[in-house]
Amino acid sequence: MVFLTLSCWIRSRGPDRYWKVQEVLKHARHFRGRKNRCYSLAVRAVRRAFVYATKARKLKKRNMRTLWISRIAAATREHGMKYPALMHNLTKTSVQLNRRVICDLAVTEPRSFLSLAKLARARQQEGFRAALGDGKEPAGVFSRVVLLQ
Amino acid sequence: MSSFSRSAQQWATFARSWFLIDAKMQPPGKIATMCSVRLQGKHKPIYHALSDCGDHVVVINTKHIAFSGNKWEQKVYSSHTGYPGGFKQVTAAQLHLKDPKHLTIVKLAVYGMLPKNLHRRTMMQRLHIFPDDELPDDIRANLTEELPQPREIPRKLSEYTQEEIDAFPRLWTPPEDYKMK
Repeated sequence: MVFLTLSCWIRSRGPDRYWKVQEVLKHARHFRGRKNRCYSLAVRAVRRAFVYATKARKLKKRNMRTLWISRIAAATREHGMKYPALMHNLTKTSVQLNRRVICDLAVTEPRSFLSLAKLARARQQEGFRAALGDGKEPAGVFSRVVLLQ
Repeated sequence: MSSFSRSAQQWATFARSWFLIDAKMQPPGKIATMCSVRLQGKHKPIYHALSDCGDHVVVINTKHIAFSGNKWEQKVYSSHTGYPGGFKQVTAAQLHLKDPKHLTIVKLAVYGMLPKNLHRRTMMQRLHIFPDDELPDDIRANLTEELPQPREIPRKLSEYTQEEIDAFPRLWTPPEDYKMK
């Protein structure tokens, strides 16, 4: 016998089991059913939740972009234009605002958004005049693109 | 407007408005797209699917709806009762005539154009369809805006004055022995 006294028979197996379990359960506290209390069920649910969270980081970017686009489309239709016309004409006038910024302007700064819509409409009219006209008319004010080198 | 308190501004932004659409001599599909856009709230820059930002839409004169082409005879509305041999097919004309309130065609069109989720039923509850010009007083009191009609109604020949008919340019002269109907 190796352990000759009673006190030597007492083992300390993993003194921090409570905290290891809490580390997992704290991520499961808002779940439904026994998954929020029982460790074996919670471990599986928490692993699934983390996998979904990882996959959703890419989806969030896509969803946010579609939301911005639908909001910008709604705002442009209020001003009598359509979203593709607005974006195309803004890129042609080298306005490099992304959809996130234009959406925020549409929501919080309506007059700035109106000025962007008017700019896009002016550029659109210049494009129509250039396409339908003879080519002898000079290019409009907004059609001149400045190339910075 | 920026002098109002934040809560008042929020109340004004998210308030639900009531739109009026006159469906006289209009194609029900075009009416339905306008309705579905406003029921979802997609006409607002503050749109979000979860924020319940849809508005109320009132459609009047649905008795005088006008399908283009031969759709009154060719468009078929199918349903199945669930029992064997219960497959029913009705043409649009039959459905419209059988309907005492003349709301099925517009209702089905809008129902099909809304997103297929649990919000659809609440959005349909916010759609109000009336076959005639008569509206209940409480709905009439709520209306805020009338939307322009999607289709320009062409004038009938009887609505043109004789001077306009005479002033119209002659497109071709018929030969001597041509028999007009």
